[in-house]
Amino acid sequence: MWHFGHVLPQTFPVESIVPGHGPAASVPRRVVISAVPVAVASAAVLSGCTSSPPKPRVFRFFTAHEAAVVTDATARIAPGPSDDPAEAGHPGAREAGVSNYIDLMLGALAALGASGAAGSPTPMIFAGGPWSNRHTSGPDMMATFVGLDPVRQIAWRRRLEGWQQQYRAGIALLDKQAGGDFTKASHAKQDSILASSALSTFRALLFEHTVEGLYSIPEYGGNRGLAGWKDISYPGDSQPRGYTAQEVMQSDGTDVLADTGVVADVLKFLKAV
Amino acid sequence: MRKAIVIGSGAGGSFAAMALAQAGWQVVVFEKGPNFFSNLAGSGPIQTLFANDDLRMNVRYFAGPDPEVFPRTWKSVGAPAVQYTGSVNDLPQIVGGGTVHWDAKVPRFWDIDFQQLSALGPVPGADVADWPFGYADIAPYYDEVEKLIGAQGDAAAQPSLVKQHAPRSGPFPMPPGPQQRSSLLVASGATAIGMHPFAYPMAINSVPYNDQHACNDCGFCSNYGCPVVARPAALMPLRAALRTGRVKLVPETMVTSVSLAGSAATGVRWVRMTSAGPVTGGESADVVVMAASGIETVRLALLSSFPDASGKLGRRLMMHSFIDGTAIFLDERVHAYRGRSITQCAQDTCDPDYPGARAFARENGLPYIRGGNMELGGSQDPISEAQSYQTLLGFVRSSKPFGTEFKQLMRASILRDRLAGCQLIGNDLPYLEHTVTLDPTVKDVFGLPVAQITWSAGKSEQVAQEFYIPIMKKMLTAAGAAVSLAVPATTDSGGLPTGFHIMGGMMMGADPATSVTDSYGRVHGLDNVYVADGSVFVSSGAHNPSNTIMAVALRNMRHLAGTS
Repeated sequence: MWHFGHVLPQTFPVESIVPGHGPAASVPRRVVISAVPVAVASAAVLSGCTSSPPKPRVFRFFTAHEAAVVTDATARIAPGPSDDPAEAGHPGAREAGVSNYIDLMLGALAALGASGAAGSPTPMIFAGGPWSNRHTSGPDMMATFVGLDPVRQIAWRRRLEGWQQQYRAGIALLDKQAGGDFTKASHAKQDSILASSALSTFRALLFEHTVEGLYSIPEYGGNRGLAGWKDISYPGDSQPRGYTAQEVMQSDGTDVLADTGVVADVLKFLKAV
Repeated sequence: MRKAIVIGSGAGGSFAAMALAQAGWQVVVFEKGPNFFSNLAGSGPIQTLFANDDLRMNVRYFAGPDPEVFPRTWKSVGAPAVQYTGSVNDLPQIVGGGTVHWDAKVPRFWDIDFQQLSALGPVPGADVADWPFGYADIAPYYDEVEKLIGAQGDAAAQPSLVKQHAPRSGPFPMPPGPQQRSSLLVASGATAIGMHPFAYPMAINSVPYNDQHACNDCGFCSNYGCPVVARPAALMPLRAALRTGRVKLVPETMVTSVSLAGSAATGVRWVRMTSAGPVTGGESADVVVMAASGIETVRLALLSSFPDASGKLGRRLMMHSFIDGTAIFLDERVHAYRGRSITQCAQDTCDPDYPGARAFARENGLPYIRGGNMELGGSQDPISEAQSYQTLLGFVRSSKPFGTEFKQLMRASILRDRLAGCQLIGNDLPYLEHTVTLDPTVKDVFGLPVAQITWSAGKSEQVAQEFYIPIMKKMLTAAGAAVSLAVPATTDSGGLPTGFHIMGGMMMGADPATSVTDSYGRVHGLDNVYVADGSVFVSSGAHNPSNTIMAVALRNMRHLAGTS
């Protein structure tokens, strides 16, 4: 199976699962760091408007304030129209419901209780199958989640407990750096907090989960209205329709991409690998 | 009635169960993971819970094993300590095994792969050897496997090198399906530099076959379970086995040891997790067949204190030396998300006499080097693409590695919709220092030591990488790529092994002094314990191994059953 990860400087999975046994610092990295063409970040034109307050709702894991902080933080990672004027017409994490995705995930096992008693709701860890019918008609079978066998319950309990602690601590740190309430800080201030080295570990986790909430199937609680997929012209799951032979084989036609800005800088970086 | 226990329900275990059950044996198949299929033993299409869901498969370990509870450890050769603990080239842990997530590529090994020592000679530092049989002996089993699981391809259109080294007795059971635009583009580059690409043989139904659906090119292929079960693979021999009425399939149950009394196995011990904790038990049998995949079978042999007269048990682990190529097209979206993942391949680079290869080997003090089958095509899904940009923004936008520029990259999609991959599956020589051992400290959820893998690219593989990387870049540029990259997946000192091709550790051979299992996979020194998975491989070939795992398992188990 072709694997793009090998091209990247960090060849290890982000997740290190046993404390003290993660990727060793001595593992050589493929890229010569000094050769990296570090471009100057373009000065983002930040709007001064503050985000609208989230609608009252019951969360699985977050408090209302925690949810608001995560909503704002993930909207800095993947901004939408109200977060960055450059994203006009392009929904982001806020519009896609990324914080809802994260909340459902972190609270997925809460209803199971300590022993995963029979009869409790199925955790929202593994969506069902074999398809959603979202491009056709018929029932959404992905919306009926698949139960966890006892071994997977142990695995996910461990994983989610670790993430829950990271979120509690990370949100508290975001608030602290903002002088009390991250959601009250300006966009520029929020960006500088998220970019700071103190937040690098939590930012990496937030980024991963933002990506998942944007681009996973909507049954997991993100990608609301397929906002994530539409923004990148991606149809998502295609069963039971699939694609015709023509759609598979033929060119969609010329579509020239301007080799400028961040695209140019990434290509330049890759060429130097 | 004789009774066998088969450990594992994947490529090897499914064929073992079928061969023995069809010969009248009673068989119990233990599978460590769950079963996501229904109607396995019935007639008509097999049903499944698999879906077009990249989060579940690529992020959440739906097909398992989950490294939180079943980790492995890895270090490169010569490293003083373990470098990584977690997922290390894990195959699915599920009914159907590795044939659930695979993209079902079924090239055959070449004749020279089975006779690597006598055909190509020794290589200093490596333990090169011949298999106890040749291509002509295994070819009928390839035919039978491809017919049962359903393979598509165009035998007449295969290039002469392939016809010469892996001759077929007849056509593929099915014609090739639609060719991906992205694969055809990369194939055009291969042709332009003198190679001979062709429709990649794969065990995917291009038409309805054996009561199973035809593939509808949904695009969620490599690393997914097929939602329409158009590539049933191990499920077909499992179905044949279950239909005899003599086979019991036991999922979610891990065999923890083979019980030995002197040189005879009496059965196995197993453990199963319940909501109240682990439950253990035992099962007796006349014969035990191990098919838990290369690494896990070795782990079980070590946990069971198997005899090891040759000193090679757990040695000669081979995982292929992959080179990953990337072609980025700035004038077209090549939509690799449609169709069966990667529909073209080229095998010119399997040839030790590829133009310039012998001379390059000699310049580097080697008798020969080998590349491998090249998969022409492939890309990644949006979540993986986004993770790539997350990493890259850390380098090109370190002061603010997120925000609108992340979303600009996603819309431009240079690393997904404008990308066509290419992977060279490099021959990996057997080295005695490439090992599977029991990790001294890390345990699984049941408290058992996990597999520690020691493996990195050997000298021959590094020289081959050096030779083939410029050739791959040239090919991708000839395909029209604006940016052409090729990097080795593993080097001498680093790179977590990936690629899912697990071979060796229990090598076959006639001589107990130099091999772990006999010419039919029976463990030397034990009367009734057999191995029927990739761990019996003597060489790694230069091709995806599953077809060969199945063919060898079928050959060996037919011998055991007395029906060969």
